[in-house]
Amino acid sequence: MPRDVLSGEIVSCKDCGSEYEVMIDENGTLELKAAEEVGEDWGE
Amino acid sequence: MKIAIAYDMLRFEEKALINEAQKLSIPIETLHVDSVWFTLDAAHLSPREEYGTLLQRCVSHARGLHVSAIFGEFGIPTINSYEVAAICDDKILTTLRLAKHRIPTPKTRVAFDQEQALKALEELGYPAVIKPIVGSWGRLVAKVRDREEASAIIESRISGSNPNDHIFYLQEYVKRPERDIRAIVVGDEIVTTVYRYQPPNDWRTNVARGGISEEARLTNTETELILKAADAIGGGILGIDAMESPTGLVIHEVNSTVEFRGASTVSKNNIAKKMIEYALRVAKK
Repeated sequence: MPRDVLSGEIVSCKDCGSEYEVMIDENGTLELKAAEEVGEDWGE
Repeated sequence: MKIAIAYDMLRFEEKALINEAQKLSIPIETLHVDSVWFTLDAAHLSPREEYGTLLQRCVSHARGLHVSAIFGEFGIPTINSYEVAAICDDKILTTLRLAKHRIPTPKTRVAFDQEQALKALEELGYPAVIKPIVGSWGRLVAKVRDREEASAIIESRISGSNPNDHIFYLQEYVKRPERDIRAIVVGDEIVTTVYRYQPPNDWRTNVARGGISEEARLTNTETELILKAADAIGGGILGIDAMESPTGLVIHEVNSTVEFRGASTVSKNNIAKKMIEYALRVAKK
């Protein structure tokens, strides 16, 4: 995990390549959830 | 006064903006919208959240639009404003605004019914393009060569549950080189223009679909048109997409949460730095 990781950042597993979204709560607790591939309303 | 960057997913662009702000020693606060909640029934945000400007960078249109609305209503200059984001997020509103300002766009028709959509396509002529009114990265954009293909696409859209997919935004297929133009406008300046070449086996040029960027040089007339389009939409930080039609540039899309990863590899300008400097200029004093 990068030292300066921020909540909402996408990180990938070096072993399997799976992508995860980093969630950090107000207590600084870090949690990983599987990253969504593409949301229906995503875009520019 | 600090700049806030609101985001739902931290990508290359948001990291670049944070890095540039830090390099310029500009106080910055990252605001992960999934990690906070907002009070709507107050006259203003709490002092802790008193920002000079908000750069709205959500990848979700719905979230971004509402974040812009919340901060805008609390009197914080938001880039882009709710009004600008709402126009950009809806292709019908974008085309209407451009047309109102006499800015050339591809011939466009809208229909709310399957049969009317097919009639409109006959009038436009094939090949034609069917696009969703909301969406990006070339998703669900279909080139149709005849009535049979068009019917199949329309049937498929109607079978879905998204009401927006039951509105048919139809455009002429513009004869153009195998590229389009992306201009990134920051305030009243075009900070970069790139050609986006379509990848092999795809007619769409979106970088998200593998389109390749190369620095573009525009004529004075083309530059004026891009700036006029940005002004018509309402200004801010915009990604203007144009095609080189046989009769000159036509603007086919305006993006409110501009991605610039591809453009930054070929641009002479530091795009993120330009955006941060603009945010500082429009900040509430």
